Amino acid sequence: MAAEDLPSEFDVVILGTGLAESVVAAACSRVGQRVLHLDRKSYYAANWASFTFNGLLTWIQQHHESQPEEVQDWSSLLQEGEELIYLSTSDSASISNLQVFCFTSEEDEEEEAQSPDPPNTTEEETVVDDEDAVKETPETESADSKDEETKEKPEESADEEEAGQASHLEGEEPKADKPCPSTAQSQSEATRKKISYAQLVKEGRRFNIDLVSKLMYSRGSLVDLLIKSNVSRYAEFKNVTRILTYRHGNVEQVPCSRADVFASRQLSVVEKRKLMRFLTSCLEETEEQHAYNGRPYLEYLRDQQLGDNLQHFLLHSIAMVTEDTPTEVGLTSTRHFLRCLGRYGNTPFLFPVYGLGEIPQCFCRMCAVFGGIYCLRHSVHCLLVDKDTNRCKAVIDSRGQRISCSHFVVEDSYVAGERKKVATPTRFLSRAVLITDASVLPSDSDQQVSMVTVPPIAAGSPAVKMVELCPSTMTCMPGTYLVHLTCQSVGSAFEDLSPVVTRMFHTPESHDQEKCPSVLWCLYFNMADGSEAEVEGHDLPSNMYLCSGPDGGLGHDHAIRQAELIFQKILPEDDFCPPAPNPEDIIYDGENTSPSAGEEERGGTEERQEGEEEEEEEEEEKQNLQTEE
Amino acid sequence: MSMEDYDYLFKIVLIGNAGVGKTCLVRRFTQGLFPPGQGATIGVDFMIKTVEIKGEKVKLQIWDTAGQERFRSITQSYYRSANALILTYDITCEDSFRCLPEWLREIEQYANNQVVTILVGNKIDLAEKREVLRQRAEDFAEAQSMLYLETSAKESDNVEKLFLDLACELIREAKQNKLDNNDTAPMPGEGKTISYLSCCSLN
Ligand SMILES: Cc1cc2nc3c(=O)[nH]c(=O)nc-3n(C[C@H](O)[C@H](O)[C@H](O)COP(=O)(O)OP(=O)(O)OC[C@H]3O[C@@H](n4cnc5c(N)ncnc54)[C@H](O)[C@@H]3O)c2cc1C
Ligand SMILES: Nc1nc2c(ncn2[C@@H]2O[C@H](COP(=O)(O)OP(=O)(O)O)[C@@H](O)[C@H]2O)c(=O)[nH]1
Ligand SMILES: [Mg+2]
Repeated sequence: MAAEDLPSEFDVVILGTGLAESVVAAACSRVGQRVLHLDRKSYYAANWASFTFNGLLTWIQQHHESQPEEVQDWSSLLQEGEELIYLSTSDSASISNLQVFCFTSEEDEEEEAQSPDPPNTTEEETVVDDEDAVKETPETESADSKDEETKEKPEESADEEEAGQASHLEGEEPKADKPCPSTAQSQSEATRKKISYAQLVKEGRRFNIDLVSKLMYSRGSLVDLLIKSNVSRYAEFKNVTRILTYRHGNVEQVPCSRADVFASRQLSVVEKRKLMRFLTSCLEETEEQHAYNGRPYLEYLRDQQLGDNLQHFLLHSIAMVTEDTPTEVGLTSTRHFLRCLGRYGNTPFLFPVYGLGEIPQCFCRMCAVFGGIYCLRHSVHCLLVDKDTNRCKAVIDSRGQRISCSHFVVEDSYVAGERKKVATPTRFLSRAVLITDASVLPSDSDQQVSMVTVPPIAAGSPAVKMVELCPSTMTCMPGTYLVHLTCQSVGSAFEDLSPVVTRMFHTPESHDQEKCPSVLWCLYFNMADGSEAEVEGHDLPSNMYLCSGPDGGLGHDHAIRQAELIFQKILPEDDFCPPAPNPEDIIYDGENTSPSAGEEERGGTEERQEGEEEEEEEEEEKQNLQTEE
Repeated sequence: MSMEDYDYLFKIVLIGNAGVGKTCLVRRFTQGLFPPGQGATIGVDFMIKTVEIKGEKVKLQIWDTAGQERFRSITQSYYRSANALILTYDITCEDSFRCLPEWLREIEQYANNQVVTILVGNKIDLAEKREVLRQRAEDFAEAQSMLYLETSAKESDNVEKLFLDLACELIREAKQNKLDNNDTAPMPGEGKTISYLSCCSLN
């Protein structure tokens, strides 16, 4: 398409489409600011993005090839009294230690995949097949040779990807490329171990693989904001259906409701009563609790005489804290967990259908609906700063166009290190993404969404948060599960997480794990921890605001709080994301719009409809006026 | 806002290059007017129109691009859970026709497999400026197994027909699906919106 030029004047220019930036964009546009929202990538959501399987392979490849663009000299565009600040041209620093392993066979095993149900190709046979497959696959080297290995792998994947796409185009009949027999009943044993790498690629678009792994607390700030702003209408959500924990080599379900507690087979009657009493009591603050301030929550729990079982559940699965977390922090997260229970379901969490990458996009849509302009594959090369006022007056975009703005919001990774007074983050998150063939805790339903807490498996190891997604979340193909592991980095992602993977799943390195789900494919990488990125105190223009990338927390509070703070600095007088008018209230019913004479004359006037939503409408009109001037 | 006021609810999404007349088509159909001004109404997310087909009430929720097509930056989430796509080009603009394969790639990537796609050549009132022959567009649509229709948002030609044909097709598919009862794939729309979730737990 022709390279249309952008308008040259905005109120707010925002660079980066991560969650915080997107919320700021929606908030500003909503109250009438003219917003330009850019991202240098071809996709939305930056490090918050979700990718199809093939998209993820491309992302991996890009992270091996990424080389900084040449810095161009834009000083000719300077005006009197201005100086230039160049932005960083690459963001390679936020992702590191990428490693990919494929443990499934490269090609389809034709007959098996086609025939609907000879379900009893016996367990043994399938396992043997699988073992063979593993021996054939080349990329099971150890961690040390990682550089070469990871460089090889993506290229190979890229080829596969093309092959996959080609076959899609040829077999155009939409139904033909779907192996109908598998799917709903695909958990049947026969199909279980048979998904090949070629199939993953072929069905690649059914995956939506998140770079960050988070959940939405049902009474957390993100859910509150989605509801308040009506952005929630752009997405759909599923409940996390169960909380699991890994303990003594087993995966156990954590009771989360009264019914769960009473149904629990792991708990004795006495334990059940104790747990109920404890949970009720901790909803209020007591003198007794205050006495434990500063001392570990574990100590407090111990002194409540709860016993090992309950202590484990309360510490690791409900409070989700570590053994040395202070009591007041532990209690706060316990209360947060309890408050979130029962709002939408049996656990405190929701997950967006199609993955977390939808969320920033939903806010971007809201921004666009209120007039915000969107341009991907487009960046800002430098800022023009007024020397006297230390304010950013304009930006120069990647096409060399000067765009003036009153405020500039930018994601941390676009800002070169030397501009920052405070050191770049030293902390990283370790991430693993697994595609597996079964749930870590099979149950009656094969459509469970599970949050799994894995306490440190050895002294000095990190606590790992694991989220297991089923195909009905639209994040993985039928017959597979998508498993996300996250922890604070101690070493590389592989060093931190592969011991957990080896224990809980069947991989070529694991022993006696035949009963565990098999890993078909997995990816390890480290990502900079956004909660460590300092967004204040840099030597930056006073109307420039930094957003950090994703943080390691389970919820979204960090980004939402950051966005709200930035919004308040830009527009201290305005409401943060007031409800957008509901289109349902602007109904042009078949009956009402019987095309009548005279409408052409009326054409162009604002829509009017009778009665009811008078207020909403007025509000909307005000909006229109504000944005049109 | 009684939810039971219709037998079917379908989400219809418009795509295609900027300037081909998507917004005009929606406004013509839902409001019966051809706006002299350009662009979508600020703050309006989608338009609703309820039509009656063979005695059944069909509520159409029609989504516009919010201008994100201008710089090829439509969010993926826009395509999710659409029941039908109206892929629009301008018969007086060769370029808008040549971009169609690019749009089809996006559809293939992000829209659900069962989505009904219709190709629309708009602005037939400007016959003297036509750059894309009808036959060419028909051939293209057929090769991609799409329906094809030519419209004028300005003269209100075929606009009603466009949406009613789509509604008929969607009803036909919905009935077919019910018959087949093929729950082979989890359907989009299986999740719940928060507002729906919240009203369930509050009541
Ligand atoms: C293991 C476990 C034990 C819990 N024990 C209690 C508890 O003893 N008391 C409590 O108030 N909350 C308890 N909760 C929290 C409770 O389940 C709800 O999350 C919380 O009360 C939110 O209330 P709601 O009105 O949204 O829930 P709803 O589930 O809709 O509850 C409806 C009503 O029942 C009460 N209720 C819910 N669960 C219990 C329960 N287990 N015992 C007694 N009353 C209950 C609620 O207070 C409320 O008034 C427990 C949670 C867990 C995980
Ligand atoms: N002659 C004519 N002009 C049209 C028609 N539909 C739209 N237009 C004009 O084409 C331009 C772009 O229309 P718009 O609906 O904003 O396109 P969009 O960007 O696809 O939403 C406007 O100037 C309209 O007046 C049509 O059917 N005939
Ligand atoms: Mg438009």
